[in-house]
Amino acid sequence: MENAMSKTMNKLSENVLDKFSMDFLRNQVLKNAYGNTDTVIAKLDPRILLVWYVFFALVPWFVNNVPFLLGCFILVLITTALARVAGLVLFVFALGVFSQTGYLFVVSLLFGGDASTVLPLLILTLKVATVSLASITVFSGLDPDRLSNGLLWFGVPERLSFSISYAYRMLPMLMEEFQNVLLSYKLRGNPPSHDTLMGKIRYLIYQVKVIMQSFYPLMLNTAKRARTTVEALELRGYRNAASNKEVRKIMLSSLRVQYSDFMFIAISVLWVALSALVSTLI
Amino acid sequence: MNTVEIEDLSFTYPGASQPTLLNVTFTIEKGDFLAIVGNNGCGKSTLCKVINGLIPHFIVGDMQGNVRVCDMDTRTSDVGTLAQKVGYVYQDFENQIVRPTVLDDASYACLNFAFKDYEERGRRALALCGLEGLDDEYVWQLSGGQTHLLALAGAVSLQPDVIILDEPIAQLDPKHADAIYEVLKDLNENHGKTIVVIEHHTEYIADYCKHVLLLKDGTVRWKLPAHEALRRVEELEASDIFPPQVTQAAHRFKVTGSLAHVETLPTTVGEGKAAFASLKRDTHGNDANQMTDTPAVDGEASRGNTSDAASSSAAPAEPESESDAPDALASSAAPEDASNMPSVPAVEFNDVTLGYRSVKGDRHVVLDHFDLSINEGEKIALIGSNGAGKSTIMKLMVGLLKPAAGTVSLFGSPIGNKKAEEISRQISLVYQNPEEMFIKDSIENDISFAMRVRDVPQWEEKTAQLLERFRLTDLRNRDGRLMSGGQMRRASLAIGIALNPSILLLDEPTANLDIATRREIMAVLDDMKDIIKTAVIATHDMQLVCQWAERIIVLCGGKVVADGTREEVFGDKRLAQLVGIRPPEIFTMARALDDDARCFTVDEFVSGFKEA
Repeated sequence: MENAMSKTMNKLSENVLDKFSMDFLRNQVLKNAYGNTDTVIAKLDPRILLVWYVFFALVPWFVNNVPFLLGCFILVLITTALARVAGLVLFVFALGVFSQTGYLFVVSLLFGGDASTVLPLLILTLKVATVSLASITVFSGLDPDRLSNGLLWFGVPERLSFSISYAYRMLPMLMEEFQNVLLSYKLRGNPPSHDTLMGKIRYLIYQVKVIMQSFYPLMLNTAKRARTTVEALELRGYRNAASNKEVRKIMLSSLRVQYSDFMFIAISVLWVALSALVSTLI
Repeated sequence: MNTVEIEDLSFTYPGASQPTLLNVTFTIEKGDFLAIVGNNGCGKSTLCKVINGLIPHFIVGDMQGNVRVCDMDTRTSDVGTLAQKVGYVYQDFENQIVRPTVLDDASYACLNFAFKDYEERGRRALALCGLEGLDDEYVWQLSGGQTHLLALAGAVSLQPDVIILDEPIAQLDPKHADAIYEVLKDLNENHGKTIVVIEHHTEYIADYCKHVLLLKDGTVRWKLPAHEALRRVEELEASDIFPPQVTQAAHRFKVTGSLAHVETLPTTVGEGKAAFASLKRDTHGNDANQMTDTPAVDGEASRGNTSDAASSSAAPAEPESESDAPDALASSAAPEDASNMPSVPAVEFNDVTLGYRSVKGDRHVVLDHFDLSINEGEKIALIGSNGAGKSTIMKLMVGLLKPAAGTVSLFGSPIGNKKAEEISRQISLVYQNPEEMFIKDSIENDISFAMRVRDVPQWEEKTAQLLERFRLTDLRNRDGRLMSGGQMRRASLAIGIALNPSILLLDEPTANLDIATRREIMAVLDDMKDIIKTAVIATHDMQLVCQWAERIIVLCGGKVVADGTREEVFGDKRLAQLVGIRPPEIFTMARALDDDARCFTVDEFVSGFKEA
C-alpha cells in the first residue's frame, strides 16, 4: 500500500514539470489551432459553422428529452471526431464535464442514491457535454483566422476578431518564454529532495510555487516583447485597417459558401429531425 | 535629391535628464546605402525611429528640430502614411511578425492599407527576399535567418522608398548574413531603395555600404563615404567599433613607420592585396604562422562580391588536402587529447539522440547518435550554422533537456542520476538571451538567488563581491530587463558564475555587443580561470573563436564534422564549404599574400609579416 502510494506520488511529482512539459503544451496548442487545416470541418465556411453552433449551444438547455439529447450528443461527437481535435483539449473537456456534474453523480451514489437521482444528473451531463463538444468542434476545428473572419462577418468588432488570431500567434511565444523562466528556476533553484513520501509532497508544493513565481518574470518579459509588437502593428497599418471599411470588404471576400456547406447543414438538420421524431415515438 | 533631411534635431525621452539626440543634422540621398555606427546606447535606434515617425507620433518625448522624409514633415504626417514610405526591421524582428503563416505576414500591411492585390504584393516581396515557395509555412518553423528575411519582406511589401534595419545580422551565421546583405544590395541597386542599417560588422560595411554615419553621445560626428570612414581607425575605436581587420593591420604598420608608400588604408581584402604587396612573410622569427606539416590548401572563398580576393587567390587545390575529410580530422584529434588529459572527461556524450515533434506530427531529429567528450581545462568554441544544434548540446549538458537515447555524463557519472543541486555546482549555462535569466525583481536578488536557496555561507558578501567585479553595484536594485545590452550581459554572467561552477557554458555571449563590452567579457573569462577550469562558447564570432579557443568543434546537422585546433579547422577548405563557416578576414588576407600563412589575429599578422 505504502509502496503503491509512493509510486503514484512519484509519478505525479515527476509529471508536473517533466512529462507534462511546456513543450508538450505548446505542441498541443499549435496542433489544435493549425494542425488540422485539412479536415472536413476546417474546410467549411465559418459563417455556416457559427450558425450551426448557435443551435447546438442553445437548444439542448431547453430540452429534457433523453433520446433527443442523445441524438444531438452523437452528432457533435461525430463532428468532434471529424475535426481531429488535439488530445489535450479532449482531456480538458472530460475533466470539465466530470467536475461540473460527474462528481455529483458519484456522490449521490455513495449516499444511497438510485436510478431516480441518476436520471436528472445524466440529463444535465448530456447537455453540458453536447454544448461543450459543439464548442470544441467550432472553436478548435476551425483555424483561428477563418474563425475570426466568420465572426467579422457577423459584425463582431475588428479588434476582437484580430485578438483571436493574434492570441494564437502569441501563445507559442508566451509558452516558450514561460518554459525558459521555469528552466532558470530549475538551473538555479534548490528543490527539496524527494526520496521519501513527505519529500515528494514537499517537491510537488515546491514545483507549484515555482510555477506561480514564474509569472512575474514571464509578464515582464512578454511586456518587453510586446512593446516592439505594438510599434510594429502601428507601422503595419493595424489602426488603419480597424477604421477602413474597404479592408473589411477585402478580408471577407475570401469567404464562400460551397456545396459541402449545404451538405453539412442538410445532414445536421436531418439528424436532428430524426432524433426529434424518435423521441416523440418512444 | 534627398530622401531624408534632418535639421537640428534633439530628442529627450520623458523623464530622462540627458537628451538622447542632440542637434543632429544630416541628409540621406535617394539611393544611398547608409550604415549608422556608434557604441551601445549612443542613440542609433532612437534616430531611426525618428525617421519613420514613431517619434514623435507613437513614442512621446521632447522633440525639437525638423525631420523631412520623402518631402513630408514627419511631425504633420501620420504614422500610416510614413510607414508606406519607410520600412523598418527591428533588432528583435521576431516580435514584429504578427501572422501565423509566411504569405499572410508578408501581405499583412498591404491588406491593412487596403491594397486589393495584397497577396500579389506579399508574394512579390517574398520573392525579392528569397523566400519563394514558403507561402504556407508556419512562422515558428522558420530558421532565424528566414524569420529575419520575412520581417524584411513584410516591410518591402509596401514598396517603401527607405528601408531601415536595426542590426540585421547580429545573431546570424555568415551564410545567412550574406543572404540578408545580398537582398539589401539587390533592393538598393536594382529597385532604387534607400537602405539604412545600424551595423557594427565593419567588414560588411566595407563590402556593401556607400556611406557611414558616426553617432557619438547623441551627436553626429561625421558622415563620410564608407571606405573613407572605415580608414578613421582611431575615431572608430574611440567609439568602440572595430574597423575591418585589414584596415586595423595596415594602421598598425603605419604607426610603426612601415608601408610609407601606402597613402590610403585598405578596407577590404582586395584593397589589402595591393597595399600589402611589399610585405613578405617573416619565416624566421615566428613559428606561429608556419604550418609546414599540413599540406597547403587554397584560399577560403572570401566573402562578399566587391572584394576580389576570392578569384585572385584561388590557387589550384592540391588533391591530398581534398582527401583530408572532416571525419578523419575529428577522429585523429581525440586520441591525442586522451593521452595527456585526466582519464575522466568533464563532459561526455555517449550515443545521444534527441528530436522533437513538429506541429504536423513528423519527427525532427536534432542529434543522431552523437558522441563528444570534453576534458577538464579545455577552452572550446562550438561553431556551426544557425540550427546546427549548438544550444541543444548546451542544454543537454546542464540537464535541461533529456536525451531520447544515450547518456550525457558529467565527470564520469550520468546527469540523469545526479541531483539538480550537484549539477549546478559543477556546470553553469549563461543563456543567449540574458532576459531569460532574470527571475527576481532586482539583479542583486537574481545574483544571490542560487546561493541563498542553497544556504551558501556568507552569500551576502559573495553577492557584493560579484556586483563589484561586474561593475553593477550602482545598479543592484534595478530590474535586469531595464538595463542596457552590455549591462544585461554582465549581469547574466554574474548570475552564471555565482555558484563557482567548474564548467561554464556561454551561448552567443558577444552577439549585439560593441568592442568595449566584448573585451570586458573576455577579461572576465581570463580572470576567472582558476575557478572556471573548462569553458565552452557557442558563437558565430570567428574573431572571438580565433583569439580565445584552444579547441574548435564544428557542428553540422547535429553531427560533429570537425574537431581540432584553429589551424586544422580553418585550413580545411572542404569544411568551409560544407558548413559555411568562415575564418576571420585577417586569415584570408594573410593567405592571399602568402598561401602558407596562418594568421588568426591582427597581432599575428603584424608580427608575421615584414616589409621586404
